[in-house]
Amino acid sequence: MARELVTGNNAAGYTLALAGEANRKARGAICGAYPITPQTEIVEFLRDFKFTKGRVVAVESEHSAMGVCIGGSLAGARSFTASSSNGLSYMTENVFAAGYYRLPIVMIGVNRTLGPPWNIWTDQGDTLALRDAAWLQLYTESHQDLVDTILLAFRVSEDPRVLLPALVAEDGFVVSHTQMVVDLPEQEQVDRYLPPLDLPHRLRGKGVTVGGMIFPHDTERHRMEIQAAMDRVPQVLAEAIDEFEKIFGRRPHGTLSAEHTEDAETVLIACNTMARTLRNVVKRRRERGQKIGLIKAKLFRPFPRQDYMRAVGHAKRVGVLDRNHSPGSGGIFWTEIATSLREKPGLLLQDYLVGLGGGDVTPAILDEIVDDLNARTAASEPVWKEVLS
Amino acid sequence: MCTPRAGLKLGESMIEIAIHGRGGQGGVTLAKLIASAYFLRGQYVQAFGVYAAERSGAPIQAFVRIDDEEITNHNQILEPDHVIVLDRTLIGPRVVSGLKPGGWLILNSPEGPDAYVAQFPGRRVATVDATGIAVANGLGTRAVPIVNTTILGAVMKVLGLALPDVKGAMDEVGFGGANLSSGQQAFESVRTQQAPGKIEPTARVRVSGRVASILDRDLGGLPTIHTGDWASRQPKRHQLTPPCNDGCPAGNDVRGFVQAAAKKEFDEGLRLILQTSPLPGICGRVCPAPCMEACNRREHDEAVNVREIERYLADHARWPDVTKPKRAEQIAVIGSGPAGLSATYHLARRGYRVTLFEVGAELGGVMRTGIPSYRLPRDVLDREISFIVRHGVEVKTNQTIDRRRLLEMSHQFAAVFVATGLQESRALRLGQDAPGIAVQGIDFLDRARHGQENLIAQRVAVIGGGNTAIDAARSARRLGARSVHILYRRTRAEMPAIKEEIDEALEEGVELSELVAPLRLHEDALGPVLTCQRMRLGEPDASGRRAPVPIESEDSQFEVRCDKVILALGQTPDLSIYPEGSEVRDGLKLAGLTGAPIFAGGDFATNEGTVTAAIGSGRRAALHIHRTLTGEDLFPPAPPEVAGPDRITMHVFAHAPRERGVILPPDVRRGSFTEVRLGLLDEPGRPAATIEANRCLSCGVCNECDRCLSYCPEGIMVHRGSGNYEFDYDYCKGCGICASQCPRGVVYMAEL
Amino acid sequence: MTTAPVIPPEARCDGILRPGNTNCAGCGMSIGLQWLEQALDGERPTMCIPACCGIVTAGTFPTSAYGVPTVACTFASAASVATGVSSVYAMNEEDELTVCWTGDGGTYDIGVATWSAAAERNEDLLYICYDNEIYGNTGGQRSSATPQGVKTSTTTAGKLEPKKDIMALVAAHRVPYAATLSVAHRDDFMRKVKTARKMKGFRFLLMLSPCPTGWKSEPGDSVDLIDTAVRCGLFPLYEVYGGRRYRINARPDGTPLQDYIKRQRRYKSQTLDLDALQAQIRENWAHLETMARAFPAPEL
Repeated sequence: MARELVTGNNAAGYTLALAGEANRKARGAICGAYPITPQTEIVEFLRDFKFTKGRVVAVESEHSAMGVCIGGSLAGARSFTASSSNGLSYMTENVFAAGYYRLPIVMIGVNRTLGPPWNIWTDQGDTLALRDAAWLQLYTESHQDLVDTILLAFRVSEDPRVLLPALVAEDGFVVSHTQMVVDLPEQEQVDRYLPPLDLPHRLRGKGVTVGGMIFPHDTERHRMEIQAAMDRVPQVLAEAIDEFEKIFGRRPHGTLSAEHTEDAETVLIACNTMARTLRNVVKRRRERGQKIGLIKAKLFRPFPRQDYMRAVGHAKRVGVLDRNHSPGSGGIFWTEIATSLREKPGLLLQDYLVGLGGGDVTPAILDEIVDDLNARTAASEPVWKEVLS
Repeated sequence: MCTPRAGLKLGESMIEIAIHGRGGQGGVTLAKLIASAYFLRGQYVQAFGVYAAERSGAPIQAFVRIDDEEITNHNQILEPDHVIVLDRTLIGPRVVSGLKPGGWLILNSPEGPDAYVAQFPGRRVATVDATGIAVANGLGTRAVPIVNTTILGAVMKVLGLALPDVKGAMDEVGFGGANLSSGQQAFESVRTQQAPGKIEPTARVRVSGRVASILDRDLGGLPTIHTGDWASRQPKRHQLTPPCNDGCPAGNDVRGFVQAAAKKEFDEGLRLILQTSPLPGICGRVCPAPCMEACNRREHDEAVNVREIERYLADHARWPDVTKPKRAEQIAVIGSGPAGLSATYHLARRGYRVTLFEVGAELGGVMRTGIPSYRLPRDVLDREISFIVRHGVEVKTNQTIDRRRLLEMSHQFAAVFVATGLQESRALRLGQDAPGIAVQGIDFLDRARHGQENLIAQRVAVIGGGNTAIDAARSARRLGARSVHILYRRTRAEMPAIKEEIDEALEEGVELSELVAPLRLHEDALGPVLTCQRMRLGEPDASGRRAPVPIESEDSQFEVRCDKVILALGQTPDLSIYPEGSEVRDGLKLAGLTGAPIFAGGDFATNEGTVTAAIGSGRRAALHIHRTLTGEDLFPPAPPEVAGPDRITMHVFAHAPRERGVILPPDVRRGSFTEVRLGLLDEPGRPAATIEANRCLSCGVCNECDRCLSYCPEGIMVHRGSGNYEFDYDYCKGCGICASQCPRGVVYMAEL
Repeated sequence: MTTAPVIPPEARCDGILRPGNTNCAGCGMSIGLQWLEQALDGERPTMCIPACCGIVTAGTFPTSAYGVPTVACTFASAASVATGVSSVYAMNEEDELTVCWTGDGGTYDIGVATWSAAAERNEDLLYICYDNEIYGNTGGQRSSATPQGVKTSTTTAGKLEPKKDIMALVAAHRVPYAATLSVAHRDDFMRKVKTARKMKGFRFLLMLSPCPTGWKSEPGDSVDLIDTAVRCGLFPLYEVYGGRRYRINARPDGTPLQDYIKRQRRYKSQTLDLDALQAQIRENWAHLETMARAFPAPEL
């Protein structure tokens, strides 16, 4: 284990590379690589990495990047890539394809605002737009969380009980381009943690058409199987975390991280780096005796509804911080959480749209949100918390 | 706004129609057409198809709903009021599944509804030949006729609508012309019938849910669909008659032996010839080869050199062992020309004891006396005669058979075959008798072969255009004539002689004067003079050739000086052997006899004038005799249709020049009676006979080229060897490519 | 009554295209697939097939009318998916052939960027375009492969623009091998597939694929139509080595263009300009002959 000062992207690239390399005794690693800010350093890193058995193909588009991953994965290799924002949108058709093919591809989504207008800063709208693509989605709050979650993602995705692709999100620039100290894994550890990939439906000479035409009833079954696989993810993830701890000596967050919620009357929910800033705000308020807690959201697909029910506990007010916007609805986390908490009587659930387009979310802004939430007697439509910096 | 009619429950006024068809036939459009007709009558309608992979030919379904009130159902129709079937091959239990009692079953079929009453008891059945009407009106293709607009007319009639409804619906959807007239024809011609009996309940087939997962490791090899159900036509195979076979007077399987040669199966090739002709080495030299005249390859480049291939087989293949007589019956054959020899051979092969009578000292008839040895060497003639005689044939030479002796024979033998050939030469009145100057060609040739002719420094005129004329002219050349001149009334194109022989004669210095007829021969002080008349070609005569007509002008006559005139105007039979007034015809038994049957054949009966025709005649005589004696009919069945050039896909075959065989140079051959043609000579790495035989297109007969199979898009053909091809009709879609790609007309498409 | 199947079921499973597929009767693609199998001589390639008739052919899950591993790719993705597949085969030292089998929509139109990139990277792929000059699977719309004058459901009066010269585009990538294929010239077809198989890198084969449904022709005419297309000069048979060196395999033999046009109702349009088409054919040939003279591929 090496502790190093690196950018989030370098940490992610490094981890992907080790994961790919760990499959060298099986069918190797494959990556379709295409640049887009703020993800580019990941694929640059991967292109430079000397795989024992692996190839990083510098393709002509995100669509083809995922195409290469799909083909490589179907041929049995460990497959991964990274993208952002409009790149993800351009890739979308094949993102869905990867999910429906049931291929355990891992992709880093470096969150960036969708344009136009042109905006390179962080916003989870790009990855959340892919929420229906039959991918796991995991949102990470820090460099360390990112590294650990990438390894978890491979482990869970490739588990025969799951076999679905996974998207690991990190905040553009705030993580991707920020140098921080990270405990990076060793190859030997990753080798132990990630067993060789054995894709049951890989191309192996049989006369099978993967992804051909299908009738409605078989489609129902296909979707039901995907749902069942999603339903198994929390359990598989829990096991993966236990195993992770054994090998790496630390315990990453699971589906979510509930902090100070046991006695909290007010609970705030956020993902990515905003959750870390929020953690400081909550800590200071608790020091002042306020009954406040936070839930750091991590697993978005499958959405762990029961975990939210439990984590919210007896809180009277729940505020959701959404750095994303579904026009005509509101925050996307908020709608998911509202569905999860629909059976909590008397709960005040309020959505705050904050930090959209990469606005710099300071502790002060979060304090204002907490004050607003505490002052409420009833929820309103999502509140636009503008960041004027 | 429409209010439900009083007394009706919701949906009771609704008519639901199910359409069964095939992709490409226009079932969904038919649904729209029917709906349009009712829409124009102010009703609520709904028309839709079952959308999947709409492949041309694949079964499809479409539906129509008609109601007085707004239609709110959006599901498929499982229990229709009426059913329409667009494709005859789909008519079966499935289409009536769920059909309500009293509903119409409207079928596209050329049959009347009575043809279906047994299949669909208790049903109201209507039929219309929509395919026939559509094809006649040019709608769609033969494989996939578009029948929707046609059948609309029938549907409208059966459901009680009127002709204007048909037109209205077509206008609404945008059809007219052939579509409209087809629909109207169907309206007029649909036939209906109530089938007796009770409707049998049909269990609806429920498609069972599949249990496979995309993650399954072993999904390969699951059964595919039976696309054979899509086909409206199926490929079949038949054999046609190759034009060469059709053209061979001897009845040889020409294509068969040429194809054997192509495969280097020379013994097999000879064996095939010997089935029908015992004289392959002779025919391979002197036959005018009508097979080559008929050869389809002439449309491509040049006819296959069948004559040389036959010769090659006779000269190079191993002759089979002979058989010996096994039967008691004795047969007399009179005349040992090709007809007599052929009859002798075929009778002897079938076990008869044959006695062969010949007027001359040696066997062979005209082949020996009339055909010069530079064309037909004696050893070849002897080889083939000897082969026949070795079948246990008793030979009697120097036998003159007259009418009396013939009648005696009919009491001594079980049957008699008369093939005495042509004994009388046609004369030509040349005015003044010129003894020693004008001679008959046949006599001249016979004397020539005995070395009794010397023409050194003489000028010879030969009159005629047949083989005898050419033979005489070329012999005269060889006998030292100063000049040889053939005079012919027509043009070279009409000359009955073998074309190559004419060419060779000219190469050897024989001159040809076309459109010239001799008028008279006289002598003046300088010697004999032949006066000639210039001719032109007039209207065709009985032979089909244009008749020569004298040119009427002052200078249309001219004189030719010559020392000898050889008449080669043809010969006629000496019929005196038969009772006066007898009809002499090939294969005809001499009437009015008490003794054994007497048959006539060869030139004696047919005057066809070729060895080949005589061989055929002799064989037929043998079969007649056999049938008369035993009642067993060994005549081959009537041959199928001839595969003419229109049946052959010529461009599939690469152009290839004919292998001509080796011919001695003219200056060598004109000084000698040694054989002019050396035949097809194999060189190392260049088997000429095989190369030439491979030019054969095998018209109308499969030669296992595998092209049908190679081009089959479905891979549903299997060649089990020896030309045994099978089609897997479970999967054949009936596209017809195999038939289109068969270059020789063997594979064809049969309507289902 | 049941009869024994002509081809036993177990023999139906391993071929590239099995009987019982859903291609229309007389589909040229089917012939191409049969011949591909025969040319590969028992080798079983992995097929990457984008959205097109060619993938509908497979039938419905879990059945596969393809008897070899086949990936139904998204429309533009055949070459990228195949890149992934062949890369993994290669890194595992498996001498497996990866074939992209795509229609003209996937090759001339939506897939251009993808195959162009694969060609530029010289991926080890055999890319075969069965070009039926139409979006057949969606019911017959124009593509950039549709010839001038042809009626489609989106060019109801006949297409105005001439067909795209995809071979020139491919050659410009200087790929090791590009050739045109005719389903009427079997020996030529076989030789080209075998030639391509022996090479490494991006190999491109363009097959003019008769489509009775879209061309509105007799299914049984399919092969003859292509034969005519070659003989009248409309569809030249040639090879390009390294994007530079040309070899012509068949030259026009004077067969009139009309023989090709008149048997397809898709050409019954107001905009068909036969003279222009004929001039275009002449110009194509002049160009091709010039290239073949100036930059000849070695004699066979």
